[in-house]
Amino acid sequence: MIEVRSVYKRYHTRNHQSADWVLRDLNFHLPPGVSLGVVGGNGVGKSTLLRLIGGMDHPDRGEVIRRCRVSWPIGLTGGFQGSMTGRQNVKFIARIHGDTDRIQQVIDFVQDFAEIGKAFDEPIKTYSSGMRSRLAFGLSLAFEFDVYLSDEATATGDASFKAKAKQAFDERVGKASIIMVSHSEGILRDLCRAGLWLRKGEAIWFDDIADALAAYHESIGQVKPRKAA
Amino acid sequence: MSSTGIRSPWQVTWSVWHALFMREVLARTMGNRLGWFWMLAEPVAFIAIMVGIREMMGRIRLVTGAEFIPWLIVGITAFFLFRESFTRSLTAIEANQALFAYRQVKPIDPVLVRSTMEAVLKSVVLLILMIIGVLLGMDVLPDDPLGALFLWCLIWLLGLGGALVMSIVVRLVPDTQHVVGMLMLPMFMLSGAVFPIQTMPHSIQVYLLYNPMLHAVELLRLEFFSGYTAISGVSLGYLWHWSLTMLALGLALHRRFESRLKAQ
Repeated sequence: MIEVRSVYKRYHTRNHQSADWVLRDLNFHLPPGVSLGVVGGNGVGKSTLLRLIGGMDHPDRGEVIRRCRVSWPIGLTGGFQGSMTGRQNVKFIARIHGDTDRIQQVIDFVQDFAEIGKAFDEPIKTYSSGMRSRLAFGLSLAFEFDVYLSDEATATGDASFKAKAKQAFDERVGKASIIMVSHSEGILRDLCRAGLWLRKGEAIWFDDIADALAAYHESIGQVKPRKAA
Repeated sequence: MSSTGIRSPWQVTWSVWHALFMREVLARTMGNRLGWFWMLAEPVAFIAIMVGIREMMGRIRLVTGAEFIPWLIVGITAFFLFRESFTRSLTAIEANQALFAYRQVKPIDPVLVRSTMEAVLKSVVLLILMIIGVLLGMDVLPDDPLGALFLWCLIWLLGLGGALVMSIVVRLVPDTQHVVGMLMLPMFMLSGAVFPIQTMPHSIQVYLLYNPMLHAVELLRLEFFSGYTAISGVSLGYLWHWSLTMLALGLALHRRFESRLKAQ
């Protein structure tokens, strides 16, 4: 269960002037087992919201309450240390998450899933970006989280890997839920049940993702002709 | 799937420390060829060079109550313990910025871990130097081992406290890093690590005694050499005050600025 309670968030510019609120008085409550798709235009705070839920950033006011295991954003590659091998990096993440007795299991899973062969024992800085995201994706799935966070990252790598990732993801979604930020409707409709539409710092909750997408598109539909004119 | 249960804050912190420690050790030892060798050889070589220079100059050998080389070894390693656990941890937050994506990792964790690792390394260095000293027939073993151990830990706490405070300051005002670097050399000279402060006039000693590291170095020597006459005015209480104040201030700053450091 995740609860977002009157959350405010803004970013500060270099000269300490405060920008406008990115998120303003956000309130919602995500029941266990419900997957949520977040929609909205660019710059309305979708990724910010995901960062707040994932605990990578703190709200200026209000709080985010997590009563379950929440993942880091799926496919995150920033946490890798370039001079260390894929295996060492996987070990590190497994240790942080306290799975000391399952380390070997996690390593085997990631090695098997990522399919990067001998490169698994080479330093990460020698990897291509595709190899990196394979490793990162496998790593996300190696742990059993209650809620996965995904920021436009579900589709990485070549076609065969995409299919594999999609399948692994679908299996997981049965057991766990996901909070997803994406612009591709198909994935949102496939994986999510509820929808959250972010607009000018406000959030509107829809029990059905289709309604959220419809409302979002309607709002764009109103804007588009004006721009064209 | 919450059957695995939610870990207690302490369990989370402990696994983060464990993971970071293993990572730091690997990065430092495997980073380049012979990394592990230089980690130990560098301070040993430095002390050897200092001893060599002092031997050649052949003057100011009049440290009362202690042999000269052991006196030097204790002073230099004590100062290095402080300096390394202080300056190496300064950049720990910046170096591990990417890790804050995993919310379990707090900005204070890499600072604590690096400082601890440096303390472990410097303790090993001191032990090696002591073994070499004993083999060469010098009187380098502490007369009061427990007291020496206690002071050794206190010096580390002072370095850790400084690291906690300055790791925040450096992150908020990056220019201060140069100032810290600049201050380290005069501090090294004025801590009595290589040059006996006893030979300086009393009117200067009074001001030098504001430096907590001078107290630390002299007190540690007193634990090593029971016949040693330290400069007057050295006080364990003063050192404690500095360590505890810096630790408290550092922890408070980390508490206050945690979210801003994570977001940067």
